[in-house]
Amino acid sequence: MTYSFQFRAIEDNFDHFLYGLALGLVLAVAAILVGTLIGLLCAFATMAKARLPSRLVGIYVSAIRNTPLLVIILFVYFALPQLGIRLGKLESFVFSLAIYAGAYLTEVFRAGLAGVPRGVIDAGRAIGLTGFQLALYVISPIMWRNCLPALGTTFISLFKDTSLAAVIAIPELTYQARKLNTETFRVAEAWATASLLYLATCLLIAAGLRQLERRFPKF
Amino acid sequence: MTLLAIRGLTKNFGQVEILKGVDLEVNKGEVVSIIGASGSGKTTLLRCVNLLEDFNGGEIILDRVAIGYTGEGGARRRFGERELARQRAMTGMVFQSFNLFPHLTALGNVMLGLTKVRHMAKREAQQLAMNWLARVGLADRATHLPAQLSGGQQQRVAIARALAMDPKLVLLDEITSALDPELVGEVLNTIKLLAKEGTTMLIVTHEMRFARDVAHRTIFMDGGLIAEQGPSASLFRNPKNARLKEFLKRANL
Amino acid sequence: MEHFLHELWIARWALAQGLVLTVEISVASILCGSIIGLFAGIGLTYGKWPLRLPIRAAVDCIRGIPVLVLILASFYLLTFAGINLTAVESGLLALSIFCGAHMGEIIRGALQSIPVTQIDAGRAIGLTFPRILIYVLIPQAMRQIMPVWVNTGAELVKASTLLSVIGTGELLLRTQEIVGRNFMTLEFYGLCGLLYFLINSVIERLGKFASRRFALQ
Repeated sequence: MTYSFQFRAIEDNFDHFLYGLALGLVLAVAAILVGTLIGLLCAFATMAKARLPSRLVGIYVSAIRNTPLLVIILFVYFALPQLGIRLGKLESFVFSLAIYAGAYLTEVFRAGLAGVPRGVIDAGRAIGLTGFQLALYVISPIMWRNCLPALGTTFISLFKDTSLAAVIAIPELTYQARKLNTETFRVAEAWATASLLYLATCLLIAAGLRQLERRFPKF
Repeated sequence: MTLLAIRGLTKNFGQVEILKGVDLEVNKGEVVSIIGASGSGKTTLLRCVNLLEDFNGGEIILDRVAIGYTGEGGARRRFGERELARQRAMTGMVFQSFNLFPHLTALGNVMLGLTKVRHMAKREAQQLAMNWLARVGLADRATHLPAQLSGGQQQRVAIARALAMDPKLVLLDEITSALDPELVGEVLNTIKLLAKEGTTMLIVTHEMRFARDVAHRTIFMDGGLIAEQGPSASLFRNPKNARLKEFLKRANL
Repeated sequence: MEHFLHELWIARWALAQGLVLTVEISVASILCGSIIGLFAGIGLTYGKWPLRLPIRAAVDCIRGIPVLVLILASFYLLTFAGINLTAVESGLLALSIFCGAHMGEIIRGALQSIPVTQIDAGRAIGLTFPRILIYVLIPQAMRQIMPVWVNTGAELVKASTLLSVIGTGELLLRTQEIVGRNFMTLEFYGLCGLLYFLINSVIERLGKFASRRFALQ
């Protein structure tokens, strides 16, 4: 069977691929921003003296981590409208991915918080910092530095998860590849291009992350 | 004048009684050293004084004001976090493992309390912090991060950090135990200087010679109580308590 | 509520079939993937560079693309190349490759963390390297990765939902078919999520039990 690689189709449609890639990145950034807010809230909540916040956070984290992302996406987009919550495609996807990210980021931030040495907290208390000041000026800076690697890998993971947006017809990279595939039957070219774009982006982000980690190593 | 008065202090960790009723008075300008075996309650006592630990009974009176708790008996209530933080700023503490803030420079470490707790203007705080760093001999290391400093240097920054806050009383918890032997000297010299300048200090230490030479009074703690106390020179020369005698013998004094 | 139970009763066989297929695919792909991963991991740790580099490249490429792309690409490419696999077989292939790359990294990490002195000890009693691998190194590595292995199993169960996109009749697709008929999205997507949650909770429980049982320390 002969198959002649015709990259013409790719050249003509490359801007679609780039659009899809950019959209995917935007979705990932939006999701990690919202997810970080959720994760921070939950992580600090587990440090409270009362036990109820920890229990609730535990339920949230456990529920989300054991449920497939695709099910969450479909539920938010198709099932929530029955409860009166009707979100547009993009909002619904970002919402789903953010909730998903929040569960994983909660654990990342909890580990980061636990990595702040007890003695340093004692020193902060000893000079008279209030709990809030301690959290703001001592614990948070140290926590962020410690969390940097895990935050980076989570972001790369989330970027790959944006491919699921294709299932609800959001025109990101995977959707574009499938579209080109079914329209022009340039199967190998379409999927090779998409794969290369994903791969290149992930490698670039990982390289950037390594640079950041060198500049801001863990304490 | 009596700066610190501790009366009947008790502290439990769960079922275990760590402090069983400690009575202690420290005068302004006095240097008091606390010696004793591990587990005798020395560190716990210090941590109760600067309110890092809560205590179950008794009272601590700093400069004629009761700190930590108000009321007596049934009405005894721990102060709120805000008030506790304010009270903690009245004492300074230097820790065995330095506990410098790793994300701040030496200067930043000393300045944090000045700007956030004493609410000083940034320029003023920086000036004061630099003065203190100069006093501990580290003016040229002001912009270094803790990771770039030796153990002895880190501990001296910690001392500057505690003292810059102008505390009424300074608590030192085995501040040379985590240091390599050759670095111990520089830290002890700094403390000697402070003692000469009249800083009121409570020093928990294993360095017996240092305790004898620098402290006006020495206290021997055993099993959560003060077993013997007195002027340092005579306590070390003529210990009366049996366990203190044994303790000193084992320390080769 | 009665309406839901009524619909649930009608749908019981479809859901059951989907559930069974999900479990079957997950188990099959973690087994295949583990075998692939074992060889990849060994090659990455002990192989000379002509062996190591291609494996390294393959593992990095597979891990650098989303699972969905892997599934779709293999499905369309195979069909186009004239290899007609069923949706189940194609999905199984994609998931096994995905799992293999994942496990390869994990096993590499585990093998590399075993002190070199273990190999020396094996040589000292006269074992050849293949024997050392089988009797000394791999058993230790396996024990070490037990919790991660179980976690990978849970990840595969979640990834199996993506096979619905290529028409594999696992639990999610069956749920979508049911919802397509009765429009009870809330109830049935909710049930679907709950079922996956239960499966993964069981796996999590098993994992904790297994790591305690097989722990080296």
